[in-house]
Amino acid sequence: MQQIIGFPRAVYNFIVGDPIILTGVLVFFVVIGIITHVSKSLSTMANVTLGVVLIAGVILSLVLALYRETKPKQG
Amino acid sequence: MQALLLLPHVLGVFTPDWGVGTASFLASTVEFVEAFTIVLVVGLTINWRSSFVGAALATVTLAVLIAIFGLTLLQVKNLEIFRLVVGVVLVLFGLKWLKKALLRYSGRKALHDEEAIFEEERAALKARGVAIPQKIDTFGVVTSYKSVLLEGLEVAFIVVTFGLTGSNSGAIVNKTAQANSLTSAIIGAAIAGVLVIVMGAVVRAPLSRVPENTLKFVVGIMLTSFGTFWGGEGLGITWPHSDVDLLPVIAVYLLTSFVIVQVLRPRTISQPAPPAAQG
Repeated sequence: MQQIIGFPRAVYNFIVGDPIILTGVLVFFVVIGIITHVSKSLSTMANVTLGVVLIAGVILSLVLALYRETKPKQG
Repeated sequence: MQALLLLPHVLGVFTPDWGVGTASFLASTVEFVEAFTIVLVVGLTINWRSSFVGAALATVTLAVLIAIFGLTLLQVKNLEIFRLVVGVVLVLFGLKWLKKALLRYSGRKALHDEEAIFEEERAALKARGVAIPQKIDTFGVVTSYKSVLLEGLEVAFIVVTFGLTGSNSGAIVNKTAQANSLTSAIIGAAIAGVLVIVMGAVVRAPLSRVPENTLKFVVGIMLTSFGTFWGGEGLGITWPHSDVDLLPVIAVYLLTSFVIVQVLRPRTISQPAPPAAQG
């Protein structure tokens, strides 16, 4: 049982290791995925905008993870 | 597949289609470079054995898939799910390394770093001439495998697309012209593959001497950029300039990283040391 629980945890720690990065990246990918699938066809402008939003989401996830790691500890 | 079967019959009258061959060469070079970057990254940061095993397995998978399904598989352009999964995993893995590298560059990384100790021990073993075992790393194999398979499928699409549509540009379409175009596209892609592998073998040794943190920083940037690009394609985003748009994506991540390091650094200097009684 311990090994069954331990394996996904080891994979998670190896690939991600940070819940903020995981949440941030997944939220942005899901939101953009919904937008692209709801829209029948995307204009060039819309494609560029979504690309920029995706990059911004990745950067935001990184910044939030760094902020959490570097903010002064209370108490 | 039918067109491939015609090849032996037309070898005697093969006239290269230079336009198709060149187009296939250029497009395939981009895909091979992308695949090779990931193989190189895995080789330098995890180990070469895992990287080569993943790449070899992907090549075999690709060959088996094409042998079984032939052109039918290659004409089904439904790689979105695959691109999405590979993209998300690469972004997550890339950000993990990028975060560590940025923390180290800004002086924020904790001194007691198990990975750094591990690297020091590795370096010490190397210095004493002790051979470090090249253990197969599952994640390294999977990363290399997925990237090579994805890019390999894209090269196959390029060959088929250029090979079959190239011969349709003229008014008369016949089997011989189709076989000529397809053969030219295959040759173009094969030359691109060989050139990229040779180029990679040349840069491999100098890259091995790059400092650990610099390497992790570059790898973090590359994995995050490729991941964003492929993940975006998987979501249905069409990058306006196709693969060329990878360059601005890399530039944005590089620029952001430099800004982050600058923002984190002054705080480290100006922040007063916590009083001993605190905490």
